Amino acid sequence: MQGDGTNTLQGTAIASSMIDHLFRSRAGQMVSHLTRMLGPEHLELAEEVVQESLLKALQHWSYKGIPDNPAGWLFRVARNAALDAVRHQSLVLEKEALVEADYLRRNDTAADDPRVEAGLRDDELRMVMMCCHPTLPREARVALSLKTVGGFNVREIARAFLAEEATISQRLVRAKRQIRDLNLKFEMPTGAELSDRLQSALQVIYLMFNEGYVAQSGEDLVRHDLCGEALRLGKLLADSTIGTPTSKALVALMAFQAARLSARVNASGDLVLLQDQDPSLWDTRLTAMGFHYFAQCSEGEVISEYHLQAAIASVHANATNPKGTDWKMILELYDQLMALNPSPIVALNRVVALSQVRGPEAGLDALQPLLREASLKRYYLLPVVRGHLLCELGDQASAAQQFRDALLQPCSEPERRLIQRRLAECT
Amino acid sequence: MAQYLLLLYNDPREWAKMSPEEMQKAVEKFVAWRKKLQNTGVYVGSNKLADEPGKVLRGHKPVRITDGPYSETKEVLGGYFLFEAANYQEAVRLSQDCPSLEFKGTMELRQVDAMIP
Repeated sequence: MQGDGTNTLQGTAIASSMIDHLFRSRAGQMVSHLTRMLGPEHLELAEEVVQESLLKALQHWSYKGIPDNPAGWLFRVARNAALDAVRHQSLVLEKEALVEADYLRRNDTAADDPRVEAGLRDDELRMVMMCCHPTLPREARVALSLKTVGGFNVREIARAFLAEEATISQRLVRAKRQIRDLNLKFEMPTGAELSDRLQSALQVIYLMFNEGYVAQSGEDLVRHDLCGEALRLGKLLADSTIGTPTSKALVALMAFQAARLSARVNASGDLVLLQDQDPSLWDTRLTAMGFHYFAQCSEGEVISEYHLQAAIASVHANATNPKGTDWKMILELYDQLMALNPSPIVALNRVVALSQVRGPEAGLDALQPLLREASLKRYYLLPVVRGHLLCELGDQASAAQQFRDALLQPCSEPERRLIQRRLAECT
Repeated sequence: MAQYLLLLYNDPREWAKMSPEEMQKAVEKFVAWRKKLQNTGVYVGSNKLADEPGKVLRGHKPVRITDGPYSETKEVLGGYFLFEAANYQEAVRLSQDCPSLEFKGTMELRQVDAMIP
């Protein structure tokens, strides 16, 4: 008798817990899956059907508890709702889609059947590829990917991008119209088109990641989730048959950076600079993932920006204390990065590495040409770096002026507080 | 011990505005609350009611059957929980952390009148 009791208890414990982000990640999968079934012109219908199914889950599970196979439950309800919509609106499905829908209906094992799982991953990849079509504006690609594959809603996307909900809504509506008007296909591109699209997808994923990473505010978890979603999509690409060494490099880069996410913000929500971080707070699981993908990414001939960025991140990850950072190596990698992409931002980062190797004076010299750079005119980190170097040289007054200048430029609240702290130290 | 019926009214449009992540968080809260009732041994049952309005039966020979009742407010009766409590005070205490309130719902608590022996 007692044994039975224990079993039941365990059973309830399992059935009543859900994987983190189950709704969100399955929403993305289901939208992708239904979009293939219904055709990209019915993307909106797919989204509606999925939203309704999640709503049903919310209402039913609240009273009756979580079913044994929550993902399977969601899929069954969503698929049936989609087929109902097809009947009501007299949509014409491709024969293939009908056969598959029929198979899935008779074999209700969505979450367990490896064949179905692999199919769902393919659907997600195709959705990413469609959302990253080069004819769509770049901002729309990010928003659309987050909405469809990521399972974020308009409010969350707007919050993550510090944008108005109406702006994001419009962006999405326009993008969906373009998908219809351009008759974009829900399929895996091939040949040269594939590598173009892959490049665009990696760009979108990294943009998504940076959006979450750069202005991490601690109180707003959506930004944290953005990094998680970018990492998930990156892995989805990198682990698939179309995964290239470059996509593995991007995953490595994101994993290294994500590992430091929680160490970047302290208990009061303030930013902690890399050199002040406690490495024991780094997520070792993510660091290990970073090294895993980093080892794999060197397999090809190509050395992309992601490769070099990942290499830089790996040097930081290797340093168990800030004093042990191999800045010489980092400077070398920045030199290579400059050869590949001589952007002012990369140049600014290189200055930081340079000053670590050759001292603050050399850093200030290297900064000179960047002061005339138009694209950095309103970039707060330029005066921050300059102030930091001046401070090291003992010129507190000039340093303070730089930090004051930095505060006039747009930046996030935690970053603003960090600069204010630096300013206070100088005055 | 008496049984208490907790009726949950809510505005479905509030739910519809939620993101998948928010919906999951809401489900988790309900599951935890229901589990609390179960663990304290007072839980009797709970059910979601179908979304469509039901039927109202009136009159006698013939019985008049109409659709409804339609709620005059935006809130509809979504479902109920049935549990045991010593008195209203305890029943209220058990009910007041029901997550439905967090999502702008209203609840009605009624004691089930036991048959006088």
